[in-house]
Amino acid sequence: MRVDSRLARRSVMIALLVGAIYPALAQDSSEDRSSDLILPEVDEAKLIAQQTAMRQLVGEERYVLRESSWGGEIASGKVKLVQAQLFKRNDYRFWLAVPDRRAIVSLSIYDGRGEQVEAQIETGDSTNVSSLAISPEQTGVYYLRIALHGELALTQRWSLIYAYR
Amino acid sequence: MNARLCFSSFVLVGLLSTVSAQQAPKHIDLSDANLRVVESTVIPIPLEIFASLDKLGTQDWAKQVKAREIKLDANRSRTAMLFGLVVSDGFIAVQAQDKEAVRRVGREVLRLSTSLGVVDSVEQHANAIVSAAGVGNWSVCRKELDKTRQTVLKKMSEIRDEELVGLVSLGGWLGGTEALAAVLKQNYSVEGSDLLNQPDLVKELRKEFDSLPARSKRGKVFAQITRTLEHLESLMRTDARGVISEGKVIEISLSTNNLVAAIYES
Repeated sequence: MRVDSRLARRSVMIALLVGAIYPALAQDSSEDRSSDLILPEVDEAKLIAQQTAMRQLVGEERYVLRESSWGGEIASGKVKLVQAQLFKRNDYRFWLAVPDRRAIVSLSIYDGRGEQVEAQIETGDSTNVSSLAISPEQTGVYYLRIALHGELALTQRWSLIYAYR
Repeated sequence: MNARLCFSSFVLVGLLSTVSAQQAPKHIDLSDANLRVVESTVIPIPLEIFASLDKLGTQDWAKQVKAREIKLDANRSRTAMLFGLVVSDGFIAVQAQDKEAVRRVGREVLRLSTSLGVVDSVEQHANAIVSAAGVGNWSVCRKELDKTRQTVLKKMSEIRDEELVGLVSLGGWLGGTEALAAVLKQNYSVEGSDLLNQPDLVKELRKEFDSLPARSKRGKVFAQITRTLEHLESLMRTDARGVISEGKVIEISLSTNNLVAAIYES
């Protein structure tokens, strides 16, 4: 059973890695094939988020990861909102990541009236990743508040992914 | 990279600790112009919504599996809508665990993506859908359908077909909503109808559709889309009791069904 569990985790990880790199590889197929070297572009923030998500995507009560995600750039001290339609009776989990391990990200969630909704917030062993779990009491639009803290000179590429069950 | 080292680092990431959100206010003013709302909208896939409905009891998804004939024409906007609709048909077929229907969807995905000029990116996913359906591997079917959808959206953005991206998403949402409303109509419940409470999502879809240039909305069916979305935005709103009435569910089912039929037949 332990071996099965390891194999399952590895399979999920390989699938995630392929998923993070694949779009860029697909893009390559339409490029000039005479180029000397075409390196696949990897969305590092998304990959970090997916790595963190991995353990929630296996097992009896696993989440189903969506391929769609949100992303962009954010400067330290700034806040952004992401709108998401959530459905009652489902459990949702979001993962936010930026590449710089010195960064501190935070994630919180609000209902359609702007009131904060109770959710389980988790951070990993590094502050550049944060996760939020919610079981919405109502179907409707919610707003995820993304904030970046820390002394960072450069803006950070961020990625927010989610899964449901 | 050493596989063991790689795996260990992932396990480390798994050692999560619960902490409170940093400096998160209890209330935010959504009308505050300084608050930057990210513009991109992620449309829920049908399975996400069906998962919630199934928690209320077993539903008859097999009844929602349809084999509609697709006649392609030169209207790429219509083809993009059809692509979204076919992918949503795939999700419904997965929910109903109908192998032949999923395989048919895989084949149609190839045909439509060829017409849209994105078949190279989609082919491996379409083949994976057909193979997985053959052995009843529904989780792979689901994953590959979602990847197909996402790959097409990304590829279209890359080849500057941005106008069609929104239409693929709209088609996918419409197909899922048609199936959801049909199931709720057959077996109405106050709890289940809550899933149709999506006025803000419809508003976003309508805003995106309205912003498309006239050249992307040629044909009678596109005027019908505008009217139907306006109608749905008012229907998909709960009343004072927080309920979407049975009458509204029937109306949503009829409106979405008429629009889907018009897209296939136009």
